[in-house]
Amino acid sequence: MTNDEQELFEELLDDEEFAPGLNRGALLQRGAAAGAAMWGVSTLFGPGTAFASTQARSLTPTFYQWIYGLYPEIPSAINKDYGKRHKLDAKIAPVQGFGIDRFVAEAKKKKSTWDVYVGMTPFVEMASLIESGAIEPWDKYISKSVVNDLIPSIRQEATYQGHMWSFPFLLDIIIQAWNGEIVKKAGLDPNAAPKTWDEFIANAKKVVSSKAAPFGAVFDSHGWRSLAPITYTFNPNVYTPDGLFDFTNPATVNALEVMKRMMEVAPNNILEEGKVDAGVNTTPDEEAFAGRQAAYYIKYQNAPTRFAGTWPDPTVLHIAGMPKQPGGAGATVFWNTGAALFKYGQNKQAAADYMKFLTYDQRIWKQALSKHVKGQSGQLAPYKSTWAKWEKSPPEWMADWAFTVRAQLGKSKAIKTNIWGLNQFVLGKPGWETYLKGDEKDPKKALAKARDLVMAEVKKHKK
Amino acid sequence: MWRTTTRAARTWPYLLPALFFFVGWQLWPIVRALWISFTSFSFLLDDSPESAKFIWFQNYVDAVKDPLVRSGLWHAAVFTAIFLPGMIFLPMVMAVLVDRVHNKKAAGVYRLILLIPAMMPGPLIFILWGWLYSNGIGPINYMLVNVFHLYDVTNQPTWLGATNLTFLSLALMEWWWGLGFHTMFYLAGLSTIPKELYESARVDGASEWRIFWNITFARLRPILLVLVVLRFGTAFALIDEYILTGGFDRSRPTYTWTVYMWDTAFQLGDQNRGYAATIGWIGTIGMLGVVLWLFYVFRNKD
Repeated sequence: MTNDEQELFEELLDDEEFAPGLNRGALLQRGAAAGAAMWGVSTLFGPGTAFASTQARSLTPTFYQWIYGLYPEIPSAINKDYGKRHKLDAKIAPVQGFGIDRFVAEAKKKKSTWDVYVGMTPFVEMASLIESGAIEPWDKYISKSVVNDLIPSIRQEATYQGHMWSFPFLLDIIIQAWNGEIVKKAGLDPNAAPKTWDEFIANAKKVVSSKAAPFGAVFDSHGWRSLAPITYTFNPNVYTPDGLFDFTNPATVNALEVMKRMMEVAPNNILEEGKVDAGVNTTPDEEAFAGRQAAYYIKYQNAPTRFAGTWPDPTVLHIAGMPKQPGGAGATVFWNTGAALFKYGQNKQAAADYMKFLTYDQRIWKQALSKHVKGQSGQLAPYKSTWAKWEKSPPEWMADWAFTVRAQLGKSKAIKTNIWGLNQFVLGKPGWETYLKGDEKDPKKALAKARDLVMAEVKKHKK
Repeated sequence: MWRTTTRAARTWPYLLPALFFFVGWQLWPIVRALWISFTSFSFLLDDSPESAKFIWFQNYVDAVKDPLVRSGLWHAAVFTAIFLPGMIFLPMVMAVLVDRVHNKKAAGVYRLILLIPAMMPGPLIFILWGWLYSNGIGPINYMLVNVFHLYDVTNQPTWLGATNLTFLSLALMEWWWGLGFHTMFYLAGLSTIPKELYESARVDGASEWRIFWNITFARLRPILLVLVVLRFGTAFALIDEYILTGGFDRSRPTYTWTVYMWDTAFQLGDQNRGYAATIGWIGTIGMLGVVLWLFYVFRNKD
């Protein structure tokens, strides 16, 4: 743990906003008390009351489908094992493209088909779910041991206005990756990571000039996956007092200039939208890197690890922290996909128990990080104890890059939770893209346009 | 009196299901959407449209001034103008050709092949054409770059990017998808034209073009009207294909009024559904105007 992390961790431990959670014994006690109360209510109102019948429901988590896709052991094995402890009825969530309207619509009727939603990313939809009153904090249900075991930066990301709204699960960090085979073919050292953006771009140009691959580098054009993380390598403190991303910050200007230089060695469709999930996935960078047409790559770590699984030799994949310019902060963006607790759901204590069971299960992390798995999902565990155990005695299956990616968390920061968290990047994109496309010569003007586009939309809304 | 009552008792039970369907399924959502368009209803913050502020025509005033509404309508009109002629006339030509195949087995095989795309589910069509148009792995660019060497990887066409090709690429996909289905409409229409008309025209020395224009085309006008109206509606209000290819990027031509409406209603900020309903109504009113004009153009002149 870095000093910063240690400090933050201690600060959070002193924070009284986290109500002490329950251990297993307390869970049973409360369960018994609830049972007794139920009996009393049933006696008063007779059999078949709504209260009595709803309590009979199985714990009903609902998952964003990609989680089942990346971790098939959840439905096939882990849920079955948990089902031996508590009745479980896991579902796939109706949230294509991060849509939360079904959750909100149900909350307005003070009901919820599900108890917990696994698939919430704080900067994407957490603020909207909170504003709508669809979810409640985990504070009362999550055990103190779990809270204290969370890596502090992850815990901070899950916390909003003093409450913990997300039960952290799958961690992604924006890193640099490269195809060692192409890099070697270009006459570069495949084991050496470019330390600065200048070096990164020089290497990428050498890849193209040596004809080792058609493209030197690729990035995902969505702002939260490229503009923000590259900005963070210069300075991560780029937010306005309203919590919006500061497009006109000098660090953002620097980042846009880096992206422009990367465009010279990237495919000409790099700014296109993706083919699935309303354009956010199966993006051109993914096709180019998976198809071994590009050497260097900026994206969250689980993208290159998955794509390398399709290569004849996946071991040529290398991963390192983001390059940084001299004087830059060297930070990057991370986000943790976690779980939200529905306010009108049931089985809340069991939901916390289930999330603990799920997130500590080693089968998940073996699937994510094992070098023996082709195309690992590559996401990281959120717990200090898990990492401490692995650091002390690295499992035989652990991929070499896992610790490298984990080390980035010490200097990375989440995108601020905000109702415009993700959409500010969607709205601003046409603005900053004018510079990338060459329609605007001045990056500052392009970014000012991005800011104006965001603010014009923000003004139309009550929040 | 008794007669009227018994008559009503006999009639209403039969009418009620249809009335229930019409009012509950069609009329009520329309009225509800109209009502919402006059409110400041925000899905995340207001309990219901009734609890939101009634703001009369404010949303309409804002929408008329909103450049995104104007550009969204314009983009939809451009796509419709590209898409509609191909979607109407290609199947007509195909139907005339298939109708001239006299071998019954061969005609059946042609019909079957034409219908295959229409039987395919939408997601499969999008995956198939997404692959065809892909820069990295698509066969179209592979041919252009690696086989014919017309382009290289740095300047190859980006079919679904923010280029002038986007609408044409989408229209090609839609034409292919709907060709068989629409051909069947025309074949049904062609089968109702008496063969004697063609024979008499030929005896009178009419050219094949004149026969097509004065008999085939003229007799297919009712089918043409149905297809033009139906496909105008689907083209102008297209949304899935736009979101799949252009996402919610406002600089793309695919950011039409329908995408803007969806974006406003389901994604942005507090989800301002009052304004989204207004965008929807403006598009709908525009479409109704065009449909009325189409009915006028295709009116029976006999």
